Amino acid sequence: MLKRAIAALAMAATTSGCMQYLVQPPQPSLAGTSQTVQAKSYAGGKVQQPGFISAARCANGEQLARVLVKRNFAQGFVSWITLGMIAPATIEYSCANASEPPMGGGGD
Amino acid sequence: MAAPQPSFNPKKLWKNFHETYHQVIDGEWDIFMPQQTAGLTVADLKETTAQFQKLIGDAKQQGLKVRAIGSSWSLSKAPTTSGWTFNTNRLRGRLKVKATDVDPAYPGTAGQKSGLYLFQCGNTVADVNKALETDAQKRALFTSGAANGQTIVGATQCGTHGSALEFGALHDHIVALHLITTADKHYWIERKSRPVMAKAWVDSLGAKLMRDDDDLFNAVVVSFGSFGVVSAVVLETAPRYLLETRPTQVKLTEDLWKAIGGLDFSVEPFNGDKPYFFQAVINPSSDDVLIMVNYRRDDPGNFQPNYDLISPPKSIGPGFDALSTLGVILDAFKGVIPPFSKLAAKQLFDTTPKTGTPGMIYGYKPPLLHVASGSIAVALPDARKTIETLIQLYKDIGPVPLVLGCRYVRKSPALLAFNQFPMGMMISIDGVDSTTSRAFFAAAPDRVEAAGIAFTQHWGKINSYTPQRVAKAYGANLQKWLDARHKLIPAAADRALFDNDYIKERGLAG
Repeated sequence: MLKRAIAALAMAATTSGCMQYLVQPPQPSLAGTSQTVQAKSYAGGKVQQPGFISAARCANGEQLARVLVKRNFAQGFVSWITLGMIAPATIEYSCANASEPPMGGGGD
Repeated sequence: MAAPQPSFNPKKLWKNFHETYHQVIDGEWDIFMPQQTAGLTVADLKETTAQFQKLIGDAKQQGLKVRAIGSSWSLSKAPTTSGWTFNTNRLRGRLKVKATDVDPAYPGTAGQKSGLYLFQCGNTVADVNKALETDAQKRALFTSGAANGQTIVGATQCGTHGSALEFGALHDHIVALHLITTADKHYWIERKSRPVMAKAWVDSLGAKLMRDDDDLFNAVVVSFGSFGVVSAVVLETAPRYLLETRPTQVKLTEDLWKAIGGLDFSVEPFNGDKPYFFQAVINPSSDDVLIMVNYRRDDPGNFQPNYDLISPPKSIGPGFDALSTLGVILDAFKGVIPPFSKLAAKQLFDTTPKTGTPGMIYGYKPPLLHVASGSIAVALPDARKTIETLIQLYKDIGPVPLVLGCRYVRKSPALLAFNQFPMGMMISIDGVDSTTSRAFFAAAPDRVEAAGIAFTQHWGKINSYTPQRVAKAYGANLQKWLDARHKLIPAAADRALFDNDYIKERGLAG
């Protein structure tokens, strides 16, 4: 019972303050594995580090296939203790394949 | 137009799509496709081949291992490398094989001949479905796994299967493949018994044609990337058709055992109507069985597929990473596992009746991290005994957040195919990654083995293969597979490039 209580408390402690949002199109076409960027938002987003997240691995006209914004317990704790003045987060993005390739060949 | 040159990404930590494990690597190369205005050409394939060969040569010079990796979908460590990964996801060229490029000795029918398509390795199963199912092509895959995010080569290299009762697995669509082994060798491989591409076409690619026997092809087609880079495959396809799904929830009765254990569809709820696809999902914590049956409807006319996965704005469901937390909770509170398993089955299996092309039915799914899945295949006559053995294991271990999905697949000629039995039942053990789940996965093959049942395990899912188990499962095919690897990559140093711990631990390296 004690083990369960500890597990429940640990779960509550480590998940409160955490969050995760995933954005993707209706038919995602990922051009590779996700890239991870650490980011910080200061004073409610008035200042950001980096100023904006550049999806630098998306080359040759590729757009984004998926963006995941998440905050772990440590990041949530920093945000809570600073009353949101410092809000770190982890951003994971995946590039999208640029377009649907045409069907080659065919005919005789 | 020339392709952009490969671009090096110095990332050191690679993780599989479902984030069930990580691997330290020496960096990742992004490979790009030549700009295409009129579709893939042989010149494009040659250019990509040259790029792969240069990277393989560079890796060898630097003492690094390499692996081509697609969607990173595998739950096993089959695709991993400690060296460079080649990101193939952008290599999505495809072409319909011209009649004039088909070998005159191709034994297929006129219909099969007009349904040959070449796909580059980075096409996902979704890409293949969408490319085939257009009004212009009016074709389809015969079978498919439940998901569509894997690349066609990644899925087939690891033996992904569906449950089409009259067909084999996904790799059984492949009739020819292009393999790049070293900095100066690449091969076009087919079965002797089924020549496909004209020699002139293969010569124009600059590849060495290998079709002196069937074994070489049957070795490479399921080889987890161990033979080099499979850069393209040629698939035989079906005329476009629709699937009508009729999911239903029933109790596990003696009558139902006739269907699950013997594919006898004279019983309720089938009443003699044999489906094209059949899956029974057993919840071991109860006598509930979710029956997933799909009926094939030919000649769909001008049906317009819609592949979109839309999350209704106000819907509530599990988050992307819900299962990682649930695993910990369920380990601590085992009493909630049985009701949870019912909920999980609803998340894992779409129970809404619908009609659509195979690409719609086996379409996009809400992404979930930390899923757990392993599969064991047995011959159909051993089906019931195997299921009962696993249900007993479930009772012995205690509630486990897993369900048993029973699928059926015909035998493949591939030497190390998961589908090795004339008619095999694949028990897919699906659920949440937790301590109890891992205990179940570890114990399941031991129990089935102790029961004296011959079995194989899914290469791309959690498995407990040892060199002894691989040898027992595949017999003489194992040596043929090893011989084929030595034939295509004679130098030990070149084979070592594609070795990884996964194949070493299973007696397949070296």
